[in-house]
Order: sequence, then C-alpha cells, then structure tokens
Amino acid sequence: MSDENNVIGQVHEQDMIRVTDVTKNYSLGSGEVEVLHGINMSVKKGEFVSIMGQSGSGKTTLMNLIGMLDSPTDGSISINGTEITGRSQKELVQMRRKTAGFIFQQFHLIPSLTAYENVALPLVFAGEKDEGAVAKAMEKVGLHHRMHHRPSEMSGGEQQRVAIARAVVMQPQILLADEPTGALDAVTGAKIMSLLKSLAGEMTVIMVTHNRELADHSDRIIELQDGYVKISI
Amino acid sequence: MHLHSFVLKDLFRRKTKLMVAVLGVVVAAAAIVAVITTFSVAEESFHEATNKFGANVVVRPAIESIPLVDGYSTMGSLYAGNNYIDESDIQKIYTIRDNASLSVVAPRLYGIAELEGSSVVVMGIDPEQERNLKPWWMVRGHWLTDEDTEVPEALLGSDIAVPLGLTEGSMISLSRENISIDVRVAGVIESTGDNEDGYVILPLATSQYLLSQEGKVSSLEVRALCNACPVEEMSQQIEGVLPGIEARAMSQIVQNEMAIVDHTRSSAMAVSIITLLVSTLTVASTMLASINEKMKEIGIMRAIGASDIQIVSMLFFEGALIGAVGGFIGFFVGTLASFIAAPMLVSETPDPMWNILLPVVGVCIFTGMLASLVPAKRALGIDPAEVLRSV
Ligand SMILES: Nc1ncnc2c1ncn2[C@@H]1O[C@H](COP(=O)(O)OP(=O)(O)OP(=O)(O)O)[C@@H](O)[C@H]1O
Ligand SMILES: [Mg+2]
Repeated sequence: MSDENNVIGQVHEQDMIRVTDVTKNYSLGSGEVEVLHGINMSVKKGEFVSIMGQSGSGKTTLMNLIGMLDSPTDGSISINGTEITGRSQKELVQMRRKTAGFIFQQFHLIPSLTAYENVALPLVFAGEKDEGAVAKAMEKVGLHHRMHHRPSEMSGGEQQRVAIARAVVMQPQILLADEPTGALDAVTGAKIMSLLKSLAGEMTVIMVTHNRELADHSDRIIELQDGYVKISI
Repeated sequence: MHLHSFVLKDLFRRKTKLMVAVLGVVVAAAAIVAVITTFSVAEESFHEATNKFGANVVVRPAIESIPLVDGYSTMGSLYAGNNYIDESDIQKIYTIRDNASLSVVAPRLYGIAELEGSSVVVMGIDPEQERNLKPWWMVRGHWLTDEDTEVPEALLGSDIAVPLGLTEGSMISLSRENISIDVRVAGVIESTGDNEDGYVILPLATSQYLLSQEGKVSSLEVRALCNACPVEEMSQQIEGVLPGIEARAMSQIVQNEMAIVDHTRSSAMAVSIITLLVSTLTVASTMLASINEKMKEIGIMRAIGASDIQIVSMLFFEGALIGAVGGFIGFFVGTLASFIAAPMLVSETPDPMWNILLPVVGVCIFTGMLASLVPAKRALGIDPAEVLRSV
C-alpha cells in the first residue's frame, strides 16, 4: 500500500495525523474478522475532516484508533510527528489526555455530576487545577450560565455542548466527534455543527456523520467502504 | 478539585444505591458490636458472681495440716505446732512478677478459744482485706474497724451468736489458757452456710494476743485482680518469694465456667464473622450491580483520560467509604441492640464500648475495600472502545 492509492496528505510537515497501512482485526469467537484493511490517510493541522460511510464500514473503529482508545493490528499512526503505535497503556493515557478530545452521539456525560464537574473531570484525571479552563470551555460553547445543572436538567443540544466543553477543556490538538448530531434534531444539529466548525483551526476536528449536508460544511470528506478509504474529496 | 470528591458527590447523589450497600455493612457491624458488648458485660457480671468462690490462691505453711471441717478444706485448717507464716513476710508477696494482678492479700490466724465455757474457732483477720474478700457477707451491726478500739471488737458467725442471743453491742469474754479478753460484738454475720457461721472473728492483732501467736498468721488468701489471670503461675511465683510455704490455686471452678463463657462467645463471634462475610458479599454485589450500570461511565472516564490506577482507586475509595459509614452507623445500632438484648439475656445493662468503635470501623473499611476487589478487576477488563460503541 502506498499514498498513490489513497492520495491524501501532500504537505507532510503539516500533517497532524498520519495513518499508514492500518489494519484492525477483531477476534470473533472462533476466528478473526478484519474490519479495517489497510487505511492510509492524513489530516492537516487545524483541518476539519468529515468521515462518512455505511454503517459497519469501520468509522468508529478508525476514530478509536486515532484517539488512542484502541490499537491497530498492523500499520502505524503518528500524531503531530509522534508515533503512537506500540506504546504502553500508561503512555497512551498520558498522550490521550493532551492530544484527543472525544464527543459521542449519546453525549456520554456522567449523570450524577453537574455540567461544571463533567467538564472539570479531564483536568482532575490529568491532576491539573482548574484555573479558569472550565469556565473558558463553557463560555466557548455558550453555557457558562448552566455550570451547576445536571445533564438531566438540560436539553440534548445543551448536553452535547457540555460534552464539547469537556472535550476541549484540556485544549487537545485533535477533536474526535463520532456522529455528534446523530441524536439531535436538524436545527440543533446545525448549531452543534457550526460550533465544531468554529473550533476547527484552533484544533484539528474529525467528525463522523451520516449527513451529507453537514459533511459539506467541512474542509474535506473521507468516505470509508468496507474497511477501505473509498474517496477523499 | 480532587478525584475522590467526585466519588463522594457521585455516591451522595445516588442515595438508594449508597443505602443498600451501607445497610449490608451496618447489619454486620451491628451484629459484631452487639455480640462483643453483650458478652463483655456478661463476662463482667460473671466475674462479679465468681468472686463468691473466694480466694484464687491459698497460701499456707508447707506442712501437714488437719482440716477443721471435712469437705470445706479451703476455708480453714488447723495447723499443728508452730507452723505459721511470719506476718512480716506477707509484704514479699507483692514482689512477685505478676504483682499488678494482686487485688486482695488477706491474712488469717486460726485457733481455739473458750467462749461461755465451750470451745470456739477464733479467726483473726485484716478487716480491710477481708472485707474485699467477702463482699457478700451481710453483717447485722457494723464491720470491724481498722483502728484500735478501746475494747476489742468481734464479728460472730450466726451459729454462735443466735444460740447465745448475742447481737451488736453485746459483751463477750474469750479465754485461752491463762489469757482472757473482753470483746464487744460489732456485728453478726448472717448465715452463709459456710465455715464462718461457727467462727468468732477478731482483728488480727487481738487474735494473735489471745492465741499467743504475735506476729504470726496461719494462712493467706490471695485474690487475683484480673479475670483470666495465670493463677497457677502466680502460685508458683508466690512459692518462689516465700520459701517454706505452699500456694494452691483455687481457680479450677472459675476457669471451667470461664471456658463455657468463652465457648459461647466464640460461637456468637463465629456467627458475627459469617455475617461480616455475607455483608462483604452484599457490598460486593451491590458494587458489582452498580458497575454494570457504571461500565459505560468507566468507559467514558477512560476516554477522557482516567488511568487504570485512578479508576481502581475510585472504586476502592467508594468501598472504603461505604465500609466506614456502615461501620460507624453499625456501631451505634449494635450498641443499641445490646442495650435491649443484654438486660434480657444476662440481666445487665452494658456501657457503650467506645474502645471498639475504631477497630470496628477499621474492619468495615477493610471489608468494603475487599468488596471492591471484584468490581475493580472487572473495571480493569473494560475496553472503553467496546463499551462506548455498545451504548
Ligand atoms: N469488538 C468487536 N468485535 C468484533 N467486531 C466488531 C467489534 N467492534 C466492531 N466490530 C465490527 O467492526 C465493524 C465496523 O464497526 P464500526 O463500529 O467501526 O462501524 P461504523 O462505521 O462506526 O458503523 P456505524 O455507522 O453503525 O456506527 C462492524 O462490522 C462491527 O460489527
Ligand atoms: Mg460508529
């Protein structure tokens, strides 16, 4: 496999993310199933990339690999020039704290904690004090007045904005959003979309979506099909 | 903000879950506290009762002695010849290694004197020591005084006083050979069914004068202070410091009864420990149940930067906290239970045993952490990628 097949990153020095010949196998009972069959792609610093593809095409799997939640079976991934494959769990945790912020379709806030506490959690895990970072993140998503509400007291859109605040509070280099608007209505989804767009530039944003219209707002669309990169516009 | 303050917030916002887990610990802790409290008060009252068995160690000259009364050989024997213990040697008993356990050392001098034309047994005593030894004696009148009285005083056994119609204040005359003394009756001991019913009891010095045994005593009755003193060993120690005497431990009965109490207590303790194990399982299963609902949260926490150590530490902290709260509440519930149970079971009202509060809470904290082991192991097996995908 080479870049000739999947022509993506041309200006290598600026590559924030480089995925080279990545395969991912899952062991399934008796045998193994290969979900990703040699992915090559790269994303530039500050770029806003959408990943599209049918259900089961491996989008979430790829996101988890880039976000260091999972390790590839083969191939390599480097972030900002640093190889992340073949590292220990401990190193991955530390890199993940600084590097990747996650947003999920189902928001995944901790229900027993307030918005403020949810957003502060990454700081706590990283052993950092909150010196205004939480307030700043909440301001970024326009929810600084809802700091002490619990998720159950907020609308879906608001919860997703809290989740975005939590994802950016550590000022990560990459924001990984897996179907961030999937559980929201069109209007709210569009608002979240423009929020993500406003964050791009400041950080690299990769968003999985099934919505072509939303994807068109991004700088580039990568389409996966059955574990391959089909097109990259 | 600290990691553990999140656990606190999380716990207190899920009150039902917290209560179920805590309740398991409360039950176990309460059972243990109730057993310990009830049995310690039972033991205390038992020891008060067993004091009636008399001295724990009887010290006598190491010679053949003629029992005064068949059967009750412990209460007094008549010694032939000049075989006595020097009164000045008594202090040596306090030099034994276990001297801290000595509570009463009561000297006795026995002899025969004439009262109203018939022979009676005279027993000389140290009033203060003897009173500690025989707290159950019911004296009509007053106890012998320590100070020298102008006219010597005597306590009479009921078998002597009643036939002669003697009561407090009566004057009697005791004689032996060519010695004769007038004595005022201080009081009459109500019948105990024991040897003293037939005794004339005098202060030691008065009896020594009457019996011409100045500075001598026939025997010593020694009571150990503690409940489970090594009386056999103490007997040997006493023989070591007082050559030519024989010290006999009289604790067999007490020890047998103690063995019964001990046995009952260990059975109750076993029940409590089983309760504790069950509560560990309760807490573990509560936590395990909550980990199922928490799997997702642990996955999220991993995704946003929690390390394995942090996840495990949160779980252990949660377990320890449940244990601490449960142990603390359990202590009071158990104490309350023993307040209700002890009067019915052992006719005694216990005091709260504050000294076991910390150990009980400690054991419960340990239990809670033990219960966190399973969930912690489970949590470590959680693949965040998989968890987040499936929800
Ligand atoms: N832990 C696993 N074990 C086995 N197979 C898995 C596992 N996780 C994912 N898969 C399989 O890998 C394939 C890709 O899954 P993935 O979740 O990446 O798809 P996706 O593109 O995100 O789909 P969707 O749009 O539905 O979210 C699927 O066929 C899925 O069944
Ligand atoms: Mg997916």
